[in-house]
Amino acid sequence: MTFVPITYKGGVYKHDIILDLIDDLGGHIVQKHMIAQDVVLQCLVPKEDIDLIKETGRPFGSEVFESPLVGTEIAVISPSLEIHHLPHTSCDVAEYLRSAGAKTNMIGLSRGFGKRIANLNIEERDIINEHDCAVLMLGNFESCIRHKIPALRRGINVPIILTGGPDTESLSTLADPPLDGYVGNIGRIGHRMKKQEGEIEYLDDLVDVISGVLDEKREEIAKDTLSISPAKLMSIIDEEMHITEGSTHPTPITVQIAGLRVKIPYEEYADELGAVEIEDGITIGEICNILPSRMRNYIWIKIKPFSETNIMV
Amino acid sequence: MALDYFQVECVEEKGRKAYEEIAGDILMDLNLLQIISRFYIKIDPEFPFFIAAGEIRKMPGRVLAGDFTGILNEDGKITIEIGDETYLSFFLQKLWDLYGRDNIIQPDRFTITIDSDIGNVDEIKNLPVYDAGKGVYKDIIYAMQWIAPEGFKIRRECTKGNRFYYIASENILTDDIVEQEISGALEKLEG
Repeated sequence: MTFVPITYKGGVYKHDIILDLIDDLGGHIVQKHMIAQDVVLQCLVPKEDIDLIKETGRPFGSEVFESPLVGTEIAVISPSLEIHHLPHTSCDVAEYLRSAGAKTNMIGLSRGFGKRIANLNIEERDIINEHDCAVLMLGNFESCIRHKIPALRRGINVPIILTGGPDTESLSTLADPPLDGYVGNIGRIGHRMKKQEGEIEYLDDLVDVISGVLDEKREEIAKDTLSISPAKLMSIIDEEMHITEGSTHPTPITVQIAGLRVKIPYEEYADELGAVEIEDGITIGEICNILPSRMRNYIWIKIKPFSETNIMV
Repeated sequence: MALDYFQVECVEEKGRKAYEEIAGDILMDLNLLQIISRFYIKIDPEFPFFIAAGEIRKMPGRVLAGDFTGILNEDGKITIEIGDETYLSFFLQKLWDLYGRDNIIQPDRFTITIDSDIGNVDEIKNLPVYDAGKGVYKDIIYAMQWIAPEGFKIRRECTKGNRFYYIASENILTDDIVEQEISGALEKLEG
């Protein structure tokens, strides 16, 4: 069964029918937003059942479309959180990636600015490495980007997608060894991105490049399948520990490609979480590494591959 | 754009265009397009440094109390009607300093009364309340800091007469470089 990431947008009225349907089909709801009269569901559903969901939702005025980035957590990195980058470029990019289904975290580096003085500290590096990929947003000058890249990529082992003012072709010559993706023409600007031509079109390119890079990562993981799918593990944890009910986070459990970020304190709950039974006596602790996240005091779960556990749920 | 002269100079064409747009957006955001008449920017990404120089069209002048109030002297008391609330807090402060806080009565938001034995209508009318030009240079320097590429922590700035300049870098700026670049930039403003 192939799961496809989709976004369902519809009214609140009778939306529980859709929730039940997705559940019955074996799909997973990664994120649920209730905005006034509207419900937005980001979910992973079996490919062959998309038409059924569309059909069922039609009487409620719903809309169903594929969102390639559902179930991923992406770091959007800007050299600082100064007025030079915010609110325009960084927020525009983070928001656009969210509309494509990703969970984005904006990371403003403490000393990422300047051509000669840019650097990355250990905490920032570790936090970035907990994501599925990193979008590095730099400025308008080629010579600055060329200088800064070696300092800003040091120690990062997740795929990096570079954006900047120069066009994609020039950007791709600036990093040595090459990075995983480049999207040009997204440099520093002083206004919101509104025009389709010359602004939004590059954000679309960025979504395409990121989904390409993440597809490669998924393929890599598929060679040695994970012991359990992250979305399924999320449903199990939430059912057992009732995390969503007691949390005010927009995504109390964030799904990643090969893991989860559970937003509860590590010291208090790590043991309890590890002991949760999935099925037939298999516990989460057996098939996952439960680690303290560098992001606040959260728990970061890394799912072990089948070759390591010999268990497939 | 409403500037008489506006030029951005840079060896990288793409960066030059981007900064032309950024400078326009920021000057518009801070309402400086009407105030600045000539504006020149030079960016050297190699050194690296950023220099901006400009000329101010006209300075907004002082605001007198009479400009935004209606003042009546009747029945032994002066009644001041506030037309524009923007300057009210500055105005009240001036009146308190002048006549004492106990003597300034404000029955509602837009009215102030003063006993005519204490106050003087002409004096109140000509009371300078706010200097709109005072904040302009501050705004201009803030705009320059915002326009300049981030991380340029070493900077020199100057406002004199109707001219201003701002030079910033992340490397040490020697006097020679500063002098040479500034005179170059100011020359551009002449042309």
